[in-house]
Amino acid sequence: MLDYVLGILPNMIEGLGVSAQIFIIVYVLSLPCGILLSLVRLSRLGLFRRIAEFYIYIMRGTPLMLQILFIYYGLPMIPGIEIQIDDFSAAILAFVANYAAYFAEIFRGGIQSISRGQYEGAKVLGFTYRQTMWHIVLPQVIKRVIPPLGNETITLLKDTSLVYVLAMNDLMRVTRSIVQRDFDTTAFIVAALFYLVCTFVLTRALGWLEKRYAVYED
Amino acid sequence: MAFITMQNIRKSFGNQEILHGVSLSVEKGEVVSIIGPSGAGKSTFLRCLNNLETIQGGSIWVEGDCLVKEENGKVVYARDSEARKILGKMGMVFQSFNLFPHMTVMDNLLAAPIYVKKMKREDVLPTAERLLKKVGLWEKRDVYPGSLSGGQKQRVAIARALTMNPEIMLFDEPTSALDPELTGEVLKTIHQLADEKMTMIIVTHEMAFARSVSDKVLFMVDGHIEEEGTSEEIFGHPKSERTQAFLKSILR
Repeated sequence: MLDYVLGILPNMIEGLGVSAQIFIIVYVLSLPCGILLSLVRLSRLGLFRRIAEFYIYIMRGTPLMLQILFIYYGLPMIPGIEIQIDDFSAAILAFVANYAAYFAEIFRGGIQSISRGQYEGAKVLGFTYRQTMWHIVLPQVIKRVIPPLGNETITLLKDTSLVYVLAMNDLMRVTRSIVQRDFDTTAFIVAALFYLVCTFVLTRALGWLEKRYAVYED
Repeated sequence: MAFITMQNIRKSFGNQEILHGVSLSVEKGEVVSIIGPSGAGKSTFLRCLNNLETIQGGSIWVEGDCLVKEENGKVVYARDSEARKILGKMGMVFQSFNLFPHMTVMDNLLAAPIYVKKMKREDVLPTAERLLKKVGLWEKRDVYPGSLSGGQKQRVAIARALTMNPEIMLFDEPTSALDPELTGEVLKTIHQLADEKMTMIIVTHEMAFARSVSDKVLFMVDGHIEEEGTSEEIFGHPKSERTQAFLKSILR
């Protein structure tokens, strides 16, 4: 039993590496995209706001799986576009596009929860809109969005398993092929443990962040 | 020309006109109090002066510079850079303090000079230190505003406004959100500023305070100035019946 687990471990760790890579890249890219998108979503310019609203609607209203498949298989087939990108880039692109929309809504809620008094307090001290957002509003928003961001973070970790539809060797796909090859479900258990360890680490990290921001009251 | 001239200010929210042509002039070093019942438009009037509200009619001049005026029946505001220069002369203190909760008391004072005036931290520190000591909160420099009492918060807010070296301070009901036993420390701080000849406009419900600190008092009601005069004239010998009734009800 132990020998069997040790035997499949190298492959599975390699799979975990692919999943982790996707997770980290998507997270790092989609957070700033989400903030920018939320600012556009709150823009006073109606046209920009509408476009952002529509974009978020599309991204949240259709399955991520469909978005992945569309970017990988669909884009090359659209006349005039015909872009063929490799599976890894396609996956990253789809995930970032999708998660930026979710993050944008979280940030929008956070930004809207900051009272008008904060904007006025900054304005009478001479802050421009940009300075107000950067130095006064966004730092406070971060504290408020950590709990909902935590949810999305853990969901993203598990969602990385969707890339198996592009035949990428992530943890989920490696696991499945081991199970099918050996007619043994041990790999499922090992994969579950891998995911659990990762979520544990993430939960801890988020808890630490929350604590760091708890030094001040709202 | 007076330091501040507000002429015939009209302000509406939607279809409802809140200010029906209110005027005010303030000389350098003068302390003006605006009193009156809730809903009279006192705060709105004050907020028009520093552009927190846009007006629908009238003009505002600060030291001869025009913030807003009427041209051919249309309200025209100064260009952004010009408006910035004018508004930079004013400091404001709010009823709800509006301190930045994510910054320590010291950083609240340093924020505007550093981010807005692009000054170096070490160059602002002496001023911030002097002002915090002045409002008696030097020992609170490293705590966050959340752990302060209302009175302390408001004193920090006053010090924060002063770091930008304003030529006039606007107070929008500075003690209305405070427990009664905490109003004294804030009023004392404002009094101190008056003694130093700071030009001030104060919207307040503290009648005894307004009486003692003001050079000029405006009694506002229903979006217009009902009566205007020296502290002694308004509180000692009010002419208007509405002023008399108001003071009677509030001083009872």
